Amino acid sequence: MAAFEELVARHRDRIYARAYSMMRNEEEAVDLSQEAWVKGWQRLAQFHGESSFGTWMTRIIINLCLDQLRKHKRQRAESIEAMDEESGGVERQMPVVTVNPTAGLERGELRQRIDQALGQLSYEHRTSLVLHEFEEMEYREIAKTMGCSIGTVMSRLFYARRKLAALLADLKNRDSV
Amino acid sequence: MDYKAQLKLQALLDGELPDGEASAATKWVARDREAASLLEELRSTRGALAGFEADVRLPESREFFWSKVEREIQRLETPAPKPARVSYFTLVRRFLVPASAVAVVLIAGLMLIPPAGSTGRTVAAEIETALADSGVFTYRDYSAGATLVWLSYPAEDEAAEIDEMGTFD
Repeated sequence: MAAFEELVARHRDRIYARAYSMMRNEEEAVDLSQEAWVKGWQRLAQFHGESSFGTWMTRIIINLCLDQLRKHKRQRAESIEAMDEESGGVERQMPVVTVNPTAGLERGELRQRIDQALGQLSYEHRTSLVLHEFEEMEYREIAKTMGCSIGTVMSRLFYARRKLAALLADLKNRDSV
Repeated sequence: MDYKAQLKLQALLDGELPDGEASAATKWVARDREAASLLEELRSTRGALAGFEADVRLPESREFFWSKVEREIQRLETPAPKPARVSYFTLVRRFLVPASAVAVVLIAGLMLIPPAGSTGRTVAAEIETALADSGVFTYRDYSAGATLVWLSYPAEDEAAEIDEMGTFD
């Protein structure tokens, strides 16, 4: 148990960060992190070292978060973003953001803006982005994790990036006014 | 630029295009300003996200968080308490009580069911009793579920005896 405690101490921030990026709620992210560590302990015998322990634990937290997000989705109406995606995609007509909206920002400020922008994406778009950018997963892996086609992953990722760029530009414009 | 081309541009950025397609896409970007600016936007968004999670920290101390995890692990690993051992008498009683109730209901039901061949009309049947006192007669109406017991008083035998003794009057 002492060795497991050490592993928790070493990877707890990474696991929490993944949960927080996906859930956008501190309390829920903490609870899910705890659940992930308990599951990790229970399934420890299944870990054979094909990937690093941190990566293995990250898969557990991603699956827990996806389950939780699906539950949330069932409980509420479809988000506007999801409707956009299904109705043909406004991202195709969005004007290209030519000026880097994050240029010149301090680290803390940049983080805050991205945080704000990520919070405005639907869970499908945010998760696609998180898995691709932070977990460095390929399209195929994301599709498998999220239970959708590669085409859907590409479409969600594209929308998420374009929307994020537009939101960041908007925040920059509001600041400069 | 159509949607398919936009997604191809993204795949180029993500390194998801096969070599042949990738070099063709790179040439296309080099001569198409619209494609080049979209690729630049996608690239800069990706750059903004890099390192975003580096500062995210679990907002609970190591000891507190571990104590919660440990407690939950121990709770799940503690076997559920075994049910108290039930005595033989209790088991028999558990069986006998419902069995008795079922038996009572069955008997009551059988008593109410008219015998086979009953037409439903009011049929009174006289039942010969095994009593020594022949002054008692029992009638049962099956359709009405009624039983009538006829007691003659004084009993006919008794009345005869009294007459013989001459004490009745």
